[in-house]
Amino acid sequence: MRFNRPWIAALLLIFSSAASVQSTTRPGLVLQKRYIMGTVFEIAAYDQSSQHASTAIDQAFQEIVHVDDELSNYKSGSALSKLNRSAHFHAETVPSDLYRVIETAVQFSKLSEGKFDISVAPLVNLWKAALSGDAEPTLEQQQKVKGCVGYKKIEFIAPRQISFRSPCMQLDLGAIGKGYAVDRAAEVLRAGGILNALINAGGSTMLAMGAPPGQSAWLVHLRDPSHKIDPQVMLKDESVSTSEQTIPSLLGKDSPGHIIDPETGQPVQTEFAVSVIAKTGLMSDSLSTTLLLLGPAKGRVLIQGMAEVSAIWIAPDARVETVMSGPQIVFGRKA
Amino acid sequence: MIIHHWRITRRRISATAVLGVFVLVSTCAWSSIFIHWTSPALPPARELGFSDLVLSYDAPSPLMQAARKQGYRVYVEMSPQQATALATKAESEGWAGIILNARQSERAQALNAFASLRSAHPKLRFFVLDPDGKQPEMRGSLVIKRDAVLEVSSPTAQPWIDSNLALVRVEQGADNGQVPMYSFSWNSPTAGQLARTNTAADYSLAVAEAGAFHADLILELDAGLQKALSQRDRQAWTLWKQVRSYAEFYSHPAQEGLQAAADVAVVVDDLDPSDEAMNLMARHNIPFEVSSATNLQSEDMEGVDVVVVFAKPDKKLAFQLEHLASQGKTVVVVDAHGSYPWQSQGAVQLNEHAVSYAVGSGKVLELSEPVSDPETFAQDIRRLIGNRNALLSLWNGLTTIAVPYRQNHGGLKVLELINYAQDPVRVQVKVKGSFAAIRYESPENGCCKSFAPAQHDGFTEFVIPDLAIAGRVLLENQPETGSGKGHP
Repeated sequence: MRFNRPWIAALLLIFSSAASVQSTTRPGLVLQKRYIMGTVFEIAAYDQSSQHASTAIDQAFQEIVHVDDELSNYKSGSALSKLNRSAHFHAETVPSDLYRVIETAVQFSKLSEGKFDISVAPLVNLWKAALSGDAEPTLEQQQKVKGCVGYKKIEFIAPRQISFRSPCMQLDLGAIGKGYAVDRAAEVLRAGGILNALINAGGSTMLAMGAPPGQSAWLVHLRDPSHKIDPQVMLKDESVSTSEQTIPSLLGKDSPGHIIDPETGQPVQTEFAVSVIAKTGLMSDSLSTTLLLLGPAKGRVLIQGMAEVSAIWIAPDARVETVMSGPQIVFGRKA
Repeated sequence: MIIHHWRITRRRISATAVLGVFVLVSTCAWSSIFIHWTSPALPPARELGFSDLVLSYDAPSPLMQAARKQGYRVYVEMSPQQATALATKAESEGWAGIILNARQSERAQALNAFASLRSAHPKLRFFVLDPDGKQPEMRGSLVIKRDAVLEVSSPTAQPWIDSNLALVRVEQGADNGQVPMYSFSWNSPTAGQLARTNTAADYSLAVAEAGAFHADLILELDAGLQKALSQRDRQAWTLWKQVRSYAEFYSHPAQEGLQAAADVAVVVDDLDPSDEAMNLMARHNIPFEVSSATNLQSEDMEGVDVVVVFAKPDKKLAFQLEHLASQGKTVVVVDAHGSYPWQSQGAVQLNEHAVSYAVGSGKVLELSEPVSDPETFAQDIRRLIGNRNALLSLWNGLTTIAVPYRQNHGGLKVLELINYAQDPVRVQVKVKGSFAAIRYESPENGCCKSFAPAQHDGFTEFVIPDLAIAGRVLLENQPETGSGKGHP
């Protein structure tokens, strides 16, 4: 902390809920966190006025809560929950945010030929009990539930109606919702005059706006399951997302993971952690899950045609695959 | 109004509040908040609402005298060596007691001093303090380094909680005859970060955590707050009244004779609360108790399903562990290479580092290396307990720690909950046992709301719609008809 007069910090009283005022000309950092969407969102913002930054951050958090109210499949009153309950019967009118997210998700489903699929929810639910120690579902159960899955059964009626062509279809936006939330939070921060900030959605998706004072970009260390290579990237007005299958059990045999391959109906078997850098959270979030499911060979083909996208696959034994048409990923250590 | 250590009824508390009578009473074995004071001036004890004040051993003499005149019981914090030299002076100067500040490395010495000082100075109260507590908080994954460059430490990790539950369990495992006592320092801003001042919610969370865990806390107050309180600043007192309401809530036991309930017993050879495996078990709401490897009492483990051993078993302990496994428990022995009696049974290789041995109706699992990933280890322990045995499960409780209490080895009676996120969350709870009524009280809203329980296969489920910082669930077999039990 760079207080020109450090004693100020001790004398300021404790009644502000956020941060106290700094009397230097250099922008100060305000860091706040909230538990939303089942994870800890953090926003770090630089501004001359900590009060101004705090107010803008509060508004950004409120926007994330609003997104959660629409996209959550945990909240029974969310727009998504209503859609899941009624779109089998009739075309349901949904908020424009939800329509946009589902439409974008289906575009990634088409690009990945169904590997990324937000209609995988029934399979995810089927495997949840096994994750907490119960028996794995039988092949027969898996086959039955697979019949509920398939993005082609989602019907869009512009501008804001959606219906399902399957009586048991359920959508889960867990693989894309946080990406959209950080995009929306960034828009709110910009509208509030905050230009240099970093929004972190539980570590799985982050969006960097501008850069810290005196820096060209935000330095972010990426997930490294090998603990050997320390991949890093400098982000400026970009987002990074990481996907990784559930870590294997220390005291048992293979444990089922939480990421399900809609093609096989089973948890994807992969050791890789995948990080993707793209211009928006929506894109990085959906691409990271997609690339985890596709693996390096097919994933490379998918994103080679995309501008300003970088990706890295890292295995626990430090095997690395990269594709970089966006920011350069560098290594702090050599394996 | 005094806030702690009293055994009077809630009705009496209510009457006291209504009359505005400020009473200072003596302490008992429950949970207490001691206020650490450093400023030269201080408000009267009856206004602050706390009567136990902790001063440094080198605090100016006028402050010590003023504190006593203002109605405080004055405790002085010092090292075990200083205590031996100053105990006689403490008696002559009217101190209420001495707090022995002892880090883990000085623990044995402190406990020896504690025992001898207690017998030599029966008029003084002595406490052994663990000063290595953590500021309770919900943590994110951003780490600020190198003056305003932000890093992410673990992109796929779940939210972290910094709690003192593992520390309290370790202190309880040491069984030194006192309620666990700890203190912590507030986190300092890191590079580039603007100073953040402690809020009422921060202090309230700290007070609630100690109360929920049945521990004593020495609470540090920000220097600015001390000064503002002593100057009768209105905003400061508004803040302090909120903090005081949390202390009032925990000033009386929900029921007498409650014991912490556990699914897991952790056996250790050195009692180190920094062990991350225990911290992660706490965060995953796996109720556990801690025992010393040299003092394991097998008969105390009737209620547990899993025994985790972070110690190299000697012959006696190995025999005890095999016996526990033969009774149907799962024993997990971590990084303890050697020959043990259970290895005569058929081994099943689970993975590269884990082997399972069937023993009677239970099993022993050997992990051949230290716990490399405490998060995964905690989830493994949860799976080993099994859904059929788990005392407690939470949904949407990633920022919540729930501590179950039972009465005299019986079924569950009370659940204390702490929400480290501080913003209200809707938490779904499942507890073992069939309960006809669920009552809920909280420092924020007092007593009592009733929640509709749903009973399934020997478990009771209910939803707490708005857990703010803290709450207490009373699990009742029959609905109560009277209204006198409530919190004021």
